[in-house]
Amino acid sequence: MDYLKDALEQGLTSLSEFDSKRFLAQYGIPVTLEKIAGTLKAAREAAKEIGFPVALKGSGPGLLHKTELDLIRLNLKNETELVEAFGQLTAGPSEPAHEVLVQQMIAGERELVAGLVRDPQFGPCVLLGLGGVLTEVLEDVVFRVAPLTRWDAFQMMEELRGRKILEAFRGRPPVDREALADLIITLGRIGLENPAIREIDLNPLKIQAGKPVAVDALIILHP
Amino acid sequence: MDKTRPNLELLFNPRQVALIGASATPGKWGFFLFLNILKGNYQGAIYPVNARAKEVLGVPCFAKIEDIPGSVDLAIIATPAETVAGLIEACGAKGIPNLIVITSDFSETGPEGATLERRVVDQARRLGIRLVGPNTMGLFSAQTNLHALMPPIVPLKGPVSMFSQSGNIGTQILAWGVEAGLGFEKFVSSGNEGDLTCADYLNYFAEDEATRIIIAYLEGVDPDSDFLPVAREASRKKPVVVFKGGRTRAGTRAAASHSGALAGSYRIYQGVFRQAGLIEASTTQEIMDCTKALTVYPIPRGNRVAILTRGGGWGVITTDACEEAGLIVPPLPAEIIHKLDKILPRYWSRNNPVDMAAVITAEPFMECLENLAQWEGIDAVIALGGRASIPGRVSDQPGVHGQLKAQEGLLKQIGAYYQGSHEKVMHYTGALIRETGKPIISVTMGSQDFHKESMEVYGLASYPTPERAVRVLRMMVDYGKFLASPE
Repeated sequence: MDYLKDALEQGLTSLSEFDSKRFLAQYGIPVTLEKIAGTLKAAREAAKEIGFPVALKGSGPGLLHKTELDLIRLNLKNETELVEAFGQLTAGPSEPAHEVLVQQMIAGERELVAGLVRDPQFGPCVLLGLGGVLTEVLEDVVFRVAPLTRWDAFQMMEELRGRKILEAFRGRPPVDREALADLIITLGRIGLENPAIREIDLNPLKIQAGKPVAVDALIILHP
Repeated sequence: MDKTRPNLELLFNPRQVALIGASATPGKWGFFLFLNILKGNYQGAIYPVNARAKEVLGVPCFAKIEDIPGSVDLAIIATPAETVAGLIEACGAKGIPNLIVITSDFSETGPEGATLERRVVDQARRLGIRLVGPNTMGLFSAQTNLHALMPPIVPLKGPVSMFSQSGNIGTQILAWGVEAGLGFEKFVSSGNEGDLTCADYLNYFAEDEATRIIIAYLEGVDPDSDFLPVAREASRKKPVVVFKGGRTRAGTRAAASHSGALAGSYRIYQGVFRQAGLIEASTTQEIMDCTKALTVYPIPRGNRVAILTRGGGWGVITTDACEEAGLIVPPLPAEIIHKLDKILPRYWSRNNPVDMAAVITAEPFMECLENLAQWEGIDAVIALGGRASIPGRVSDQPGVHGQLKAQEGLLKQIGAYYQGSHEKVMHYTGALIRETGKPIISVTMGSQDFHKESMEVYGLASYPTPERAVRVLRMMVDYGKFLASPE
């Protein structure tokens, strides 16, 4: 399925979280297990299949800032909580969601950010940094121009001020740097191969059992 | 390397230079440029061109470029912007391959200027002319003694070549070089880079055998240029020290209106510099500090440092600075302690940093230095206080006790003794560096003259504070890491 072409034909300027992840998964970027559900019944089945706890997010191509729209419910431990959250999101605190994303909860505490931007002078550039809600506060990000070598990817990890986060952390294993390097290098390749993509955001990129997993993803297209 | 790149040999080492707009009126750019070329003792033929003058500073003047007999390798234009197009046509007819357009009022002033610049550059390219600028302060080349610069600077000659997107900063660095004992081979103020860009200069300096180290002052890189691959290839051949102007949003605005360059996000530039193995200086002082070191020291193979000091406090500060910079100060192994025990009084520190505990003579210092430099467990040495004070100078100071003053002869003897010790230490340090292939960086709280003397007489870079020495070492360690990385 050609996610980019379809979106452009529909006049969209971004892919939904779900489509962004499907697209990235085609390149081998690890993403969360998740399903789209239009009904409560479908949501229940999806949760059962993925396994509790799950996260529930409002879904749709226009919903870029789900946190601000209050369209995210995390860590739903059972069906009762799922039903309640589904009701809230579809009733819409501000803007009702017609569909929801039922998503695997990733247990890791460590949140990184990775992404792609297009620089007017150097072209597609990959970024890696400390992620989550504090990204803008910490401003701990480094860039490389695509294509990246393996050495570039490892250097990026070394250059983070908070690079200790990649080491063994609160009883969790160190980050698999090879896997993280694969992910960073692949982002650069995606940028080079898809001129239609303007930006990619993987935030947060969580660490589960040492491996990076994109918990949220957003692909912005050239209008 | 890339064969399609311009060969800039005749631009930097022309056999004949014509200065269009040469003037006998002090205060005009055409006056200073001509004066500086003459004063600089340029090795080729210099032809002033000015329709309204018979001669300029005693040199017969030509009314038009076509009046010059024989060929001209380089023409420099210092006349108003509206005259430039006509002059380029004349230079093309004369078959002049290289042009420096000093004139401003082009793309740096706005869209109108940009249109004129594009027209002028297209015209030059059509005629097969390569063009420096416009809006440049000129260039310098040591080989031909060409001082085609507006400011009256006579740089020291040496192994460093530089391009600068700011003429002011570039020429100031040349001037600082004179103070610091840092010599230059080639310099170009790249101006608006309408035609030749920083990637062209970088590529040329990387190929140039007379250039061992490159300095780059950058504000922005042309989106169409292949700066990154050129820079990466250059860094494999020789160190490139880069300073980025326009790092903040306000600075970027100033840069955009200054040299017409597009200055992108600084974080991306930092990434580009790391990716290309460029050595980024974060202050103008670091440009000088690091370049000095690169001209004289081998690149360290790792980040482990031995510290030798005559005073405990400075040793502590240096150790902190190393650790904070990501350099390692490993503990001394027993065998080195054993060796140093034979040299130093029993109350010495017995650790790294090696505190010599008030031993001030030259020989123990040299022996300690040798033991540390030879130690397999380290990649570099920082030596503090290698130069003892010279009490001979006490006699010059007012208020010296009368009796002591009467002992002038004795004081001179003492002075000579210390000077001799100092020379011994410096020569020995140089020999140890050559023998071990490790940098030994001196830190001495002496005057600027002392640091200049270190460079010029002993070929050693020394610094007035350990923080500066540590920062330089860290920059060299990063470059060494790049050189060791897979190509």
